[in-house]
Amino acid sequence: MTLNWSGKRRWIALILVLASLVVMFNWPPVVPVIQLPGEIYPSGEVFGLPITNTFAGSVVVWILILVLIRVVGSRRPRDGGEVPRGGFYNFFEMAFEGLYGFIGGIAPERYLGPIFKMFMTIFVVVLLSNWLELIPGIDSIGFLHPHVHEVDGHTELLEGFDTATLGGVYYVNGQCPWVSPDVAATMSGEALQARADAGCHSGIPAMEEPDDPAEASDDDHADEAADDEHADEIDYHHVEPGDPAVPWVILPYIRVPSTDLNMTLAIALIAVVMIQVMGFRALGIGYLTKFFNFSTLLKSPLGGIDVAVGLLELIGEFAKILSFAFRLLGNIFAGSILLFVMSFLVPVIVPWPFFLLEFFVGIIQAIVFGLLTAIFMSLATVSHHHDEEHHEEAAAGAH
Amino acid sequence: MEEAVVVAGKAIGAGLAMVGALGGGIGIGLAVGGAVQGMARNPDHTGTIQTNMILGVAFAEAVAIYALVVSLIILFVLS
Repeated sequence: MTLNWSGKRRWIALILVLASLVVMFNWPPVVPVIQLPGEIYPSGEVFGLPITNTFAGSVVVWILILVLIRVVGSRRPRDGGEVPRGGFYNFFEMAFEGLYGFIGGIAPERYLGPIFKMFMTIFVVVLLSNWLELIPGIDSIGFLHPHVHEVDGHTELLEGFDTATLGGVYYVNGQCPWVSPDVAATMSGEALQARADAGCHSGIPAMEEPDDPAEASDDDHADEAADDEHADEIDYHHVEPGDPAVPWVILPYIRVPSTDLNMTLAIALIAVVMIQVMGFRALGIGYLTKFFNFSTLLKSPLGGIDVAVGLLELIGEFAKILSFAFRLLGNIFAGSILLFVMSFLVPVIVPWPFFLLEFFVGIIQAIVFGLLTAIFMSLATVSHHHDEEHHEEAAAGAH
Repeated sequence: MEEAVVVAGKAIGAGLAMVGALGGGIGIGLAVGGAVQGMARNPDHTGTIQTNMILGVAFAEAVAIYALVVSLIILFVLS
C-alpha cells in the first residue's frame, strides 16, 4: 500500500511533527510534579474553601455538558418528525439508542427508565472527565509556583527548575534543575560553566562577581535560604517569578477531575445511595431484610448463617463505595501519569499510541462505572432469594 | 544519605505493592479466556457473555487497581 502524499493535511501533520522535533531539542520537556491531591490555587478562596485545579476541571466538564445539551437539543427535529438533522445529532441518537438497548438487556423492564437515567448521567460525566486528560496543555500550562514545603515552622525547598522567559511568558527550563547555593559550591567549575552556558540562573551568582545590586541582593537571599535560622526572612509565597533563590514548578490551571479522590468518591456515594433508593422504591421497607435477616434465625438450625450473610451484604455496600471510587481514580490517575512520562521520555510519535489507549480506557471506565451502577440497581430491585423460594413453595403447595 | 534511604524504601515498597496486580492479571485472563470460548461455541449469546465478562473483568481489575492506588500513595503522598 502506498501512502497518498497529495493531501494538504498530511503536509500539515508532517510540518507539525518537524516543529515538535525542533521544540523538543531546544526546550527539553520537564517531568511534571506528580501529586495525588488536587493542587490548590495560590490565590482565592470561595466561602473559606480553597479552590483546587481538579475542581476547575470539573467546572470545565459541567460547561461542556451544558454546551452539549444546548447543541444537541437545538438540532432535535421540532415537529417530532424523524427526518435526520445532521451527523452530530444522529451520532448522539445512535449512541443513546445503543446504550438504551444495552441497559434494557440488564435492567428489569419496570424500572428501566430510572436505571437508564442514572446510567447515562454517570456515563456522560465520567466520560467527559476522563477525556479531559487527552487535551494537550491541560496538565502542562499553569501558574509558576515556588516549590516549597512548610515543615515545623521552617520552609524546606524541594526539587524544581529554573525559569526562563520567551516573549514575556515564563516557562520552567528543563535544562536547568534548580540547585541550592550550598550544592553549587560543591560543584566543579566545568559543571557550573555548563550550567551558565545553558542559561541557568541558580547557583551561578556564587561563582561570578555580582555587578548588579538587585542580583547581589538575590544572592544574599539565596545564602539565607540555605540557612535554616534565617529561612523565614524570605516570604516564599510572594517571590517574584523567576527568582533564582527558589525552585520553580508548574501548577496546572486545570487538572483532570477523575484524578481527584474527592470527585470519584462523590460520584461513588451518589451511585451507592441511589442503589439503596432504588431498592426501597421497588421493595419498600422489606428491602432491609436483605441486610438484617432474622426471619430464619429461630426456624432453622442454620438460621445464623442468614444473619451473617446479611451483615456481609451490609459491609459489601460500603465496599462498593471504595471500589467505585478507587477503580476510576486508579485507572485515570495512572493513565495521566503514563501520558506525562511518555511525553517526557520521547515527546514525538511515541506518545500517540498511548493517547489512543487512554481514549479507550476513558470509554471503558465510564461504561463500567455506569454499568455496575445499573446492575447493582437491578439486583436491588429483586427480592431476597429465600423469600422467592418460599413463595414458590407456597404456590406449589396450593396447587 | 538518609534521604536516599527513604527514596529507596519508597521505591521498594511501591514495587512490592504492585505484586498484587498478579492476581488481577490471572483473574482477567481466566475470565476473558472463558468468555471467548463461550462466544466461539455459542455466537448467538455474544452480547450477554460480553456484558458479564466486562463486569467480571471490572471486579477482578478492581483488586489490581487497589494495589496500584497503594503504590501511588506510597510514591506520591507519603513524605
